[in-house]
Amino acid sequence: MRILNIFSLLFIAFVLTVSCEKDDYSPIENPISPVIVDLASVPYEKLSDYQFFKAPLNMLEPEQGVLEYSLINKLFSDYSIKKRFVWMPEGEKATYVTDDALLSFPVGAVLIKNFYYDNVLPSRTRRIIETRLLFKKTSGWEFADYVWNAAQTEAILDLDGSFTTVDFEKDGIQRSVNYRIPNLLECRVCHKSDDTSFPIGPKPQNMNMVMSYLDGEKNQLVKWQEVGYLEETNATVIALPNWKNPSISLNSRVRSYLEINCAHCHKDTGHCSYRDIRFDFTSSGTDENIGVCEEPDEDLGNGLTHLIRPGTPARSTLYYRLNTNNESERMPLLGRTVKDEEAVQLIEDWINSLNYNCN
Amino acid sequence: MKNNYILCLLAFLTSLAVSAQDGNSCLNAIPVTNSFYTVGVVNGAQTSTICTTSTTDTANNAEWYVYTAAANFTVQITSNLSQNVGADTRLHVYSGTCGSLSCVTGNDDVSTNNFTSTATFAATAGESYLIAWDDRWSDAGFEFQISVTTPTPPAAFAFTISSLTTAGDNRATVDMNGDGLDDTVSVGSSNISINYQTATGFNNVNIATSNVVNRPFWSLAAADYDGNGFTDLLYGGGSGVTFMKANNTGTAFTEISGSEYVFSQRSNFIDINNDGHLDAFVCHDVAPNVYYINDGNGNLNFHQGADPTGVSTGLGLVTNGGNYGTVWIDYDNDRDMDLFIAKCRGGSTNAKINELHRNNGDGTFTNVAAMPGVNLADPIQTWSTAWADYDNDGDMDLFIGASSFSNGGHKMMQNNGDGTFTDITATMGPDIGQLGTDIENVPADFNNDGHVDILTDGNIMANNGDGTFTRYTTNIPANGAIGDLNNDGYLDVLNANNLHLNDGGTNNYLKIRLVGTQSNINGIGARIEVNSSILGPQIREIRSGEGFRYMGSLNAHFGMASDTIVDIVIYWPSGAVSTLNGQIINRLMTITEPNTTASLVDSQDDELLIYPNPVETTLHLQLPTFHENMTYSVFDINGRRVLNAPLTSKTVEVGSLNKGLYFIRILDNNRLLVKKFFKN
Repeated sequence: MRILNIFSLLFIAFVLTVSCEKDDYSPIENPISPVIVDLASVPYEKLSDYQFFKAPLNMLEPEQGVLEYSLINKLFSDYSIKKRFVWMPEGEKATYVTDDALLSFPVGAVLIKNFYYDNVLPSRTRRIIETRLLFKKTSGWEFADYVWNAAQTEAILDLDGSFTTVDFEKDGIQRSVNYRIPNLLECRVCHKSDDTSFPIGPKPQNMNMVMSYLDGEKNQLVKWQEVGYLEETNATVIALPNWKNPSISLNSRVRSYLEINCAHCHKDTGHCSYRDIRFDFTSSGTDENIGVCEEPDEDLGNGLTHLIRPGTPARSTLYYRLNTNNESERMPLLGRTVKDEEAVQLIEDWINSLNYNCN
Repeated sequence: MKNNYILCLLAFLTSLAVSAQDGNSCLNAIPVTNSFYTVGVVNGAQTSTICTTSTTDTANNAEWYVYTAAANFTVQITSNLSQNVGADTRLHVYSGTCGSLSCVTGNDDVSTNNFTSTATFAATAGESYLIAWDDRWSDAGFEFQISVTTPTPPAAFAFTISSLTTAGDNRATVDMNGDGLDDTVSVGSSNISINYQTATGFNNVNIATSNVVNRPFWSLAAADYDGNGFTDLLYGGGSGVTFMKANNTGTAFTEISGSEYVFSQRSNFIDINNDGHLDAFVCHDVAPNVYYINDGNGNLNFHQGADPTGVSTGLGLVTNGGNYGTVWIDYDNDRDMDLFIAKCRGGSTNAKINELHRNNGDGTFTNVAAMPGVNLADPIQTWSTAWADYDNDGDMDLFIGASSFSNGGHKMMQNNGDGTFTDITATMGPDIGQLGTDIENVPADFNNDGHVDILTDGNIMANNGDGTFTRYTTNIPANGAIGDLNNDGYLDVLNANNLHLNDGGTNNYLKIRLVGTQSNINGIGARIEVNSSILGPQIREIRSGEGFRYMGSLNAHFGMASDTIVDIVIYWPSGAVSTLNGQIINRLMTITEPNTTASLVDSQDDELLIYPNPVETTLHLQLPTFHENMTYSVFDINGRRVLNAPLTSKTVEVGSLNKGLYFIRILDNNRLLVKKFFKN
């Protein structure tokens, strides 16, 4: 046994030595990925058909080639938790465009986003609600949504949309949400630029973070390069502030929150570009773009005078819309049915911290 | 001891005197006159009746004052004083007595950068007015001034807020029980709260319903689509559409919710296929529009886009939608209803281009907005357009309201009477440039002067009758459902939290309610023309669903100024025509549709001759005179109209008809020429 161990150690050391010398190492053959994505026949009827995950399905343990990734700032979806993965065909990789632009993915790439709740009442178990896919065909990105059964053994393709009630406890608070699983058309409202469908999350500025992998922690962008999912690049990428980090300025935290929750519609090519606000992080650094002292286009009839009125959240449209669940007034328009209370508090604190007057 | 006792008594009596009028309640309101006053802190009893239109929720505390007019004065109450920099006040002024207060006026903010308050009202000699300053925004002290001046002439448009019992979201001012009087409708997740208008005030009934998922957050439309005499509702929700069908006594509703995903925007009831039964139409924000065809038994069947079993050409086919505000109007005066779609969308896309779907009279529609001269294929970001005959020349013009100025501003398009439109925005005058962006634009004659005004985002653009419009903005309701809620002939507005009753005036009016027989029971789609000696012609249509969110009256309303006699012509959707001459004003007229077939009697040969008869494809007409604006209709043997279009030549194509007996009818103004023919 001892000898075997020494050999194992030596072998491992040999492998590590070889793999750490970038210039002249021969890559060890990767085991074949069992994932099946035939672009001509997707979307499949069942999530298990893709073989993204090992059995049992609901453990979401990725097969070879399926790489878990995360984002610094995440979209609020009624307090659900996300587990994100990416898969690309053998030998294919994404390329870097700019810090604030989506990575350019190869044809055949699939983005996988699982939505789940922990501490679902009464049994305090995990319940996976849905798994959304974005796959890139030669004709562009397409969507698919898989709704998980109650037994959590399988998820079935369903593009019609539906509601499901989830009662859960999070951070000590019991909540009940009437969770919206989107219709295909709803996907297209947010996931687009002009009339073309796109993913939203994977921008380098929001991926530049340390992620925990099975073999240890690593910067995510470095990991993607190492596994061959991202072209090697010497670009120095910024990292967006984490909006939940209380030691960062309120203004930075707000701008990060708006980037991930709002910029997909409130950008130059977005669904509501005709509203003058711009919430992508690159643009939102000016009062004019973020809406400070800007008057709203629509009169909601509640004494709201500006999108953001310094010192007065009660007269700020932005605060009002994040703080309501009324379907025709709330923001984001789709994707949530309850308020993100932490974010509402952040916006309130930020507006209160602005101590100058509109002219 | 004795001195102390007296002092204590004096102090007690003084405190009594002080507390008797300490401003901490309505009964203890402090009398005020033409002077300055100081409010220490706002901590008295609250007021539950809110007189401000920009903010409508109650506050915790108020301070009370009372002003009694020595004569008919104009009174201004203001906290907009230099010593009040940074103050945030809210002001209400009432008539009546404590416990039974009625709003006279109110103000929250002088402007978006000045949160003090100013309100002015006309006080009547001897009347007392209660004044409440509340702490909606701040309870900090401030000073205010009462200044009294001799009266100025009354404003052209004035509204008084009237309290109303409601539960849910206010959405409609429409007759719900078939008595012709407009009622208010408010909708919650499991209730419909109706205030039925009676001769002696409102009768509130809160009807429990099933718990609905699709609430009318985006829009509500109403009509009696099963023809049982009680009005039904359409809820346009963000994920789907729900119909609430009234039972045969109007006392309960049955929920009918489709399973289809619909991101609703504006909704309407309209007889799309002209079979006499009301269908429904709902704008889809992100897909081709959806519509529900009535099967004749009160059931509405879902269709979307181009559907040979529905509307073969569809009603707005853009893949990604962009459909926000629709209104059904007859823009080309050929007596069938066309559809205008106000469109909106960000990014580089055609989804924002407005559409005008001309009804071809044969079950199909064609988007003509981009055709030469029509000039309506506009990228303006618009959520609603106000269609009306603003220049009283007999055809429908339109005011396009911009929801954002990023792709163009507000526009007034004049109907040239020949299917084309001209941009006459500049002729409206300078006030158009003062309008902000908006989502609600609805036409109404608010001062009954016979010229249709526009309610747009807290402004009334008053039609001066000469092409120019003057903007009024003081105490004008922001938006809302428009109807006559107190039967005084003046149009009132119900919006999110308040009923705004029009203060009225002395002009005459006429309201017309239609009862269809062969046409749908509400007469939706009918064109009404009135003609009177001084005003000349005015036209209206019966429409279900205008503006963006709300549902107004199904009665046609005309301001008649000082005219007293009118001639009325009604073009019913079925093709029937009613003529009523010499009618008196200042009432609600109910007009029932005449029998179409009774009017399908052959004309003399010297009025109309047709050949060949029997005919296979092309019918030739011989008429002594040929006018512009003539239309032709073909009716089947049961009196149902099967073809309808402007008459542009002396031939009519009938090849698409099935074999059988038909009537062709030429409409020349309201003169009818009829001939029976046989199609081979």
